[in-house]
Amino acid sequence: MHEEWSSNILLNDPMRMYRAKRDAARRRVTDKYTIQGFISSGTYGRVYKAQSKESDGRIHAIKKFKPDKEGDVVTYTGISQSAIREIALNREISHENVVALKEVILEDKSIYMVFEYAEHDFLQVIHHHSQSRTAVPMPVLKSLTYQLLNGLLYLHDAHIIHRDLKPANILITAGGVVKIGDLGLARLTYQPLQPLFMGDKVVVTIWYRAPELLLGAKHYNKAVDVWAVGCVMAELVSLRPIFKGEEAKLDAKKNVPFQKDQMLKIIEVLGTPDERDWVGLKDLPEYQSLKRLDAYRNRLGEWCQSRINSKEGFELLRQLFAYDPDNRLTAKEGLQHKWFQEEPKPTLNAFASLATTQGYPQRRITHDDAPSMIPLPTANSQAQQLAAQAQAAHLSQQLSTHPQSGKAGSAGAASFASLSGGAAGVGSGHARKKTRLG
Amino acid sequence: MATDFWVSSHNTRWNVDRAALRQARAEDIHYVDHPEHLDFLALFFAGLIARLGKKLSLRQRVIATATVFFRRFYLKNSYCDTDPFIVIAACCYVAAKAEESPVHIKNVVSEARGLFSKYGIKTFPSDNSKLAEMEFYLVDDLECDLTVFHPYRTLMTLCWKEGSDSISDAEAGELGAGIDNGQRYWGTGEGRLEMHEGALQMAWFIINDTYRSELCLIYPPHLIAVTAIYMACAIHQETRGDVEKQSQLPHAFGGAQGGMGTTRRSSRTTTSPLKRAQPQDIVGFLAGLNVNMALVATIAQEIVALYALWDRWKEDGTVDSARASLKRSASGAIMGATPMGNSPIGTPATGDHGHGDQHPEIVTPAFLIQLLWRMREARLADLSAHPTPGRPVVVNKMLERAQAAG
Ligand SMILES: Nc1ncnc2c1ncn2[C@@H]1O[C@H](COP(=O)(O)OP(=O)(O)OP(=O)(O)O)[C@@H](O)[C@H]1O
Ligand SMILES: [Mg+2]
Repeated sequence: MHEEWSSNILLNDPMRMYRAKRDAARRRVTDKYTIQGFISSGTYGRVYKAQSKESDGRIHAIKKFKPDKEGDVVTYTGISQSAIREIALNREISHENVVALKEVILEDKSIYMVFEYAEHDFLQVIHHHSQSRTAVPMPVLKSLTYQLLNGLLYLHDAHIIHRDLKPANILITAGGVVKIGDLGLARLTYQPLQPLFMGDKVVVTIWYRAPELLLGAKHYNKAVDVWAVGCVMAELVSLRPIFKGEEAKLDAKKNVPFQKDQMLKIIEVLGTPDERDWVGLKDLPEYQSLKRLDAYRNRLGEWCQSRINSKEGFELLRQLFAYDPDNRLTAKEGLQHKWFQEEPKPTLNAFASLATTQGYPQRRITHDDAPSMIPLPTANSQAQQLAAQAQAAHLSQQLSTHPQSGKAGSAGAASFASLSGGAAGVGSGHARKKTRLG
Repeated sequence: MATDFWVSSHNTRWNVDRAALRQARAEDIHYVDHPEHLDFLALFFAGLIARLGKKLSLRQRVIATATVFFRRFYLKNSYCDTDPFIVIAACCYVAAKAEESPVHIKNVVSEARGLFSKYGIKTFPSDNSKLAEMEFYLVDDLECDLTVFHPYRTLMTLCWKEGSDSISDAEAGELGAGIDNGQRYWGTGEGRLEMHEGALQMAWFIINDTYRSELCLIYPPHLIAVTAIYMACAIHQETRGDVEKQSQLPHAFGGAQGGMGTTRRSSRTTTSPLKRAQPQDIVGFLAGLNVNMALVATIAQEIVALYALWDRWKEDGTVDSARASLKRSASGAIMGATPMGNSPIGTPATGDHGHGDQHPEIVTPAFLIQLLWRMREARLADLSAHPTPGRPVVVNKMLERAQAAG
């Protein structure tokens, strides 16, 4: 009697018992965390602010990878390469200046990565100062840059290239500690089975993309991250992206075109690269395209003069922006740079020098989202919710006229998109968005 | 750090001892007639992973990673409670992604269906989402620890020669350049071991073979690599000439590679006399490594025991049986179909795995697949008879068997 019953199970769904057992044992996200609100929508999913139900009541950021949908039905289609990467790398690493993964919860076809919470990020600091028309104070600038390099050194020593360093991905805790985040594009470079260029055709958001990538180099290395650090540091200094090019779109065959405008923005500041200082320049695929651009001389010195009151600061930037990746500073050399040895010295709490009244505003959160993540609003929180939406609307309006609107703008947009059921609606092809393939 | 073994998830969370392995099979063991059948299952499943991996053109390292995932999964689950075939496919699928050389899910499904159907397994789902679902549960059971270390890396750190042609180009690509943390393992940082091409290749194949057992769960990869080097040197004739080997190891592992038809040929070509001016002191080199040589000897014994088991394993009814029949006709004996076929003395010198004496039967995939089916049916029957599974079932089973035997 059992025979038939059991062979049926074995034939039709042999893993049914296993799944039932696993599902019963699994603790759900909402068992462990109270979702406080929605932070941001990125390429791969949505990020929420959540409080642990453990006694410490700690705050976390939970990144929920978009579940795949076939029509309206959520189904399993395989975990994305990006999620596997981010999870695999995060499980192995641990450093003060890299955002810590607390746990991963797999539940209902979705993956939730629970990170330590960071109250601020570089983009928000930049916004804050550009709106208040103030400069990032030197001690803050120096500490942020130093800690960023320190986190990067750790990653590079672990043979990890981040490949997507930009202000939105560099977080800062309320205590002023820099946390490099978003390892969704990071790659382990130790004995790769495939050359790096095989996987993702385009890496690094265009404004932060190193010249060797723009010129089509197939073999690139850690130096691409160092270039991005240079861009980020310059942006902290001037409050706008230093090389703010227009991205040329992929053609119909998904070929990557020469990013002419971006390259131009770089050489307008750093001058036309010279074959004599860049061994291998001539062999890069887009060398001819480069030669067709107008010639410029290097005026980084002038650029810095009005912005960084420090010769060593300029020197550091100059060396971070070395054209030849082999001459570019390494993260380690960056940390040893004289600029960090002269006053004011970098501090463990990047905000140590700020008066308590000078702090940065808290991360904005909104309260609308799929009911699965956030309990339905009660009567009085509905008012809150409306307020938050108004805030978000205001923000996105504000930002659409502001040059640096990409990230935060998409947060605003997404929070409204989600009202009509779509979490995805961010892809306006904004320059801060990178194109991810593969 | 992602490339520092000592602080890795591999070292800190996934090295287990024999007791843990026994515990992992605590349920399964009640559904088999002889404990060694479980070892045969371990051998069989790893072979399937390698086969599926080859069909998907996965590199050796990806196959190794998939096998480690499989072993880890069955540290927490029982064969009798699960469908190992979909687990195998999911392991290959995830390993390919974890090693940054992804394959499309539908290829995995179709190759897996094709492969398993040759063994008469018709239950493999054709629906991609079923495999994706298994992936999801697998990653959960793996606790998201997807970075795995392998002995290949150590082997190449110690022995890689520029322009070495014993390892095929494709495989060499797995090793890459810039191997720079050998010193972490050894602390000595002294030079490299110069091995003969044939010996290096043999060490590589011995490492491949270790995945057919559960060694990868018990011993750190660098120790397995050193053992493989040690054994390869002991076996490899020319190297042995250099060292004046006095080894107590079995005489030959001519078929150590297992599962690859071409290797015997290539290892033969490399035995052509290639005199070197100053033979390196291999024994001295190995002794100078900062590793526990007693452990290395233990691992060597375990590998020998694996080969003894493998000796009694016969692939049949599959597309790859060509290899077996080739060897059968060459040696004219059934033993010729097994990896130890070329060994002058078939039985290695270990008293440990003594079951072999009482059960000298040959085990085939068909037998194991039937066994698995019976295990699963019996398990289901037990579960439905005892809504709360666990010890009572176990005790009864043991009782029954004891009574039947008496
Ligand atoms: N640990 C955290 N604490 C606070 N906020 C966070 C945290 N992690 C991420 N965020 C916020 O969520 C945003 C998106 O996170 P993340 O960059 O990891 O996702 P993503 O999907 O890869 O996004 P994108 O592709 O846009 O870079 C961040 O820019 C940041 O504003
Ligand atoms: Mg991001």
